[in-house]
Amino acid sequence: MSTPEKPATLPTLGAGMPVAIGQIDREIKALWEQSGEVASRASLMNLAIYCEGREAMARNTELIDRITKSHACRAILIGVEPHAAEPGVEAWISAHCHLSRAGAKQTCCEQITFLLRGPSADLIPNIVFSHLDSDLPLYLWWQGEFPDPVDGQLWTWVDRLIFDSKAWADPRSQSRLLRASLAKAPSRLILCDLNWTRSLYPRQALSATFDHPDYAAHLGNLHSFIITHGPGCRSTAQLLGAWLASRLGWKLATAGKHGAEFTSQSGATVSGAWREEAGAAIGSITLTAPGATFRIFRTEGSSFLHLEANLPGGRHAASLFPAGKQEEDALIVEELSRATRHGFYLDALTHAEALM
Amino acid sequence: MRLPSEAGFLTLGPALNTTERTPTNPLREGLSARPVPQPCTVVIFGASGDLTYRKLIPALYNIAADGDLPAGLTVVGFARRPKTDETFRQELETAARKVSRQSVQEELWSSFAESVFYHQSEFTNEEGYRTLAEKLDKIDAERGTRGNRLFYLAVAPDQFGLILGHLKQAGLNKARPGSWARVVVEKPFGTDLPTAEALNREVNATFPEKDTFRIDHYLGKETAQNIMVLRFANAIFEPLWNCRYIDHVQITASEPLGVEGRGPYYESSGALRDMVQNHLLQLLCLVAMEPPTDLTADSVRDEKVKVIRSLRPIAGPDVARNVVRGQYAAGAINGKPVVGYRQEDRVNPHSQTETYVALKVLIDNWRWADVPFYVRVGKRLPKAGTEIAITFKQAPSVLFNDGGGSRGQNVLVIRIQPDEGISLRMQCKMPGASVRIEPVKMDFHYGTSFGKASPEAYERLLLDAMAGDATLFARRDEVEGAWRFIDPIEAAWHGISGGQPGLYFYPAGSWGPEEADELLARDARTWRRL
Repeated sequence: MSTPEKPATLPTLGAGMPVAIGQIDREIKALWEQSGEVASRASLMNLAIYCEGREAMARNTELIDRITKSHACRAILIGVEPHAAEPGVEAWISAHCHLSRAGAKQTCCEQITFLLRGPSADLIPNIVFSHLDSDLPLYLWWQGEFPDPVDGQLWTWVDRLIFDSKAWADPRSQSRLLRASLAKAPSRLILCDLNWTRSLYPRQALSATFDHPDYAAHLGNLHSFIITHGPGCRSTAQLLGAWLASRLGWKLATAGKHGAEFTSQSGATVSGAWREEAGAAIGSITLTAPGATFRIFRTEGSSFLHLEANLPGGRHAASLFPAGKQEEDALIVEELSRATRHGFYLDALTHAEALM
Repeated sequence: MRLPSEAGFLTLGPALNTTERTPTNPLREGLSARPVPQPCTVVIFGASGDLTYRKLIPALYNIAADGDLPAGLTVVGFARRPKTDETFRQELETAARKVSRQSVQEELWSSFAESVFYHQSEFTNEEGYRTLAEKLDKIDAERGTRGNRLFYLAVAPDQFGLILGHLKQAGLNKARPGSWARVVVEKPFGTDLPTAEALNREVNATFPEKDTFRIDHYLGKETAQNIMVLRFANAIFEPLWNCRYIDHVQITASEPLGVEGRGPYYESSGALRDMVQNHLLQLLCLVAMEPPTDLTADSVRDEKVKVIRSLRPIAGPDVARNVVRGQYAAGAINGKPVVGYRQEDRVNPHSQTETYVALKVLIDNWRWADVPFYVRVGKRLPKAGTEIAITFKQAPSVLFNDGGGSRGQNVLVIRIQPDEGISLRMQCKMPGASVRIEPVKMDFHYGTSFGKASPEAYERLLLDAMAGDATLFARRDEVEGAWRFIDPIEAAWHGISGGQPGLYFYPAGSWGPEEADELLARDARTWRRL
């Protein structure tokens, strides 16, 4: 429905219109005055994105365009070139316009882009704070490793910190920094790990499967699980396995590179394994209990997760569940659509740390 | 009780009277806070009717596409016409492809269609119910629906008694231990208080009230649900939400459409029974109710019933003073000439049926003393729209508001449909050296702010019925209380109590009869221009 069409009167993508740092607010105001009656400005949040390099900035500008189709926001894109020879700061403004669901009038969101050259990380809090749309929550998407030490000045003002633990080179130290940032603003900050979002649809499918009382009875008797994951997505699979362990009250007994053993609440051993296979981040999950197996899997070309359940007495059941999408923009849109809290994620992360 | 939620959203409903406590699902925690629908079989009586094709099956398909359909869910269509399962599924698919909110995907439809069956029988045929019972037992055994049954009466009310009687006779109204049997009833819930009471007696003779779900699809609309959130999740409105600060409330439901081939139904109904008794009084209740003690179905409905009980009766000579009824004459809609109501197909050329009604309603309680609620509904009006407008009292005319009249009043508008949203009108100084004050509007549009489309009302309501959450369904005393208010008006119109008020005509494409404007003019007010 929302075919992207942009009014001729608003400067749109590319990097946007170059502006002097001190004139950004004035230029944004002028931008909206140009639009006249053709467009409505909408914003439900400030979405600040931190990334490194010009390529990432171009890619993020395209991402923002897609995000604003469903999540009206003021986007603040901060690109850094830490190794640039000449230090300096440049800024641009632009608009992303889409036809709204409501009708023919376009809905537009503004983007402010900054390029920070040289060792200018200290400027980030000021750049973010001075260009926020007031009273709207601040979501910070940190694309890259967290700096050590974490910047308390910044984190204490962030409502949601978005990151992707899949990209962490050193998960243990990053996890430590994450907890440190959380400690700076325990009441405000909500953590959103896109690697956790990657397993959202499989988790929902598992959850929906075991809503059936006949199936839920098997949860306490599971003795093994196998998760297949795409290349580079072992941490996604480990988080998913860790979630199962945390929700079902399993204690880790031993952990290896490709699996782990847990002790269930009844004292039984539960073996878990993760295997790499070409395909989606999470390709399949197989849970086994005495006399019953539950397999949730993707098939090529399908936009659904399939459930196959083999139950005692030779009964079989099959269902389809939405599989979601794996692209980065789909993950972020999914995350922004959810009024997330992170208690269950932190439980899973704690278990996952032991598996790493 | 609410499920622990990572998702962080509330449901306007509780953890319900679902089924017995079966093994809990720790994997559900953190993923959804809404009551979980239970595996069940949905039996639709009137399965070859429009409602099934256009609303019920597309709603169930969309629930499946969202991944919310309970495992094993099965649909059995019960209707007279001979048809195979396959033909039924094909017809449903054709309809769903035309009207479904989400596009129909082959793979999902194939899976969904396997859970749909057709059961051919006359409603009068006892044998048909016996074989239905057998079929449902077989489905329970094969598909794991656990004896849970949701009987959906998508038929005219005069069929209810017949179908319910047979269900009772076949023992289908009684759930096995640990299972449930519920009935969903579509409006109209009677045509007056005696028929509503009779209908309720009939329904409750077969299903207890806790298992009876009366659908008023207005309550399933996102914006109707948002009324409670707006009022009780924001600190700024509730302190002003009373007779000290609110001047009056206007509730409008207008549509440019005529009777669209439904002449015979409309002739027996009219705007008051068709819209005011149910939808608009429900909206009025949501605006006027006190905060419920919690969000359980009965807490919310208790508060709505209190509003209905507090409505000042309009009877006898008061009807002419407080109610205006109108009927559209020939006119034009969107620049095209249209015929008058009496010239519509299968409508009595001397019909006295109202296609427009405007009422002044007073609520005799502490909060709303002397605050009129003006309610109007009409067909063949210039514009489609349902909205609630809360007009606040004028600020003191001391500094700025001298001579501003009603333009100076703050108005909070809740738009139910289309273009769902909320706006607030306030006063602002125009730029310039002189003090010139003009009203400006702060406007929130769902469509602009949220890219995600709202689910259809039937999706929400079906999910709630499967989960046993009756919050968004009308309770017996609500329905009967509403008729108790409406009946004296109908009685006055039809001469039962003497002194019939007139029926006023308005040209199609206008905003109703002049007498409706006079209803407000007497109070020095005017209708809002939509």
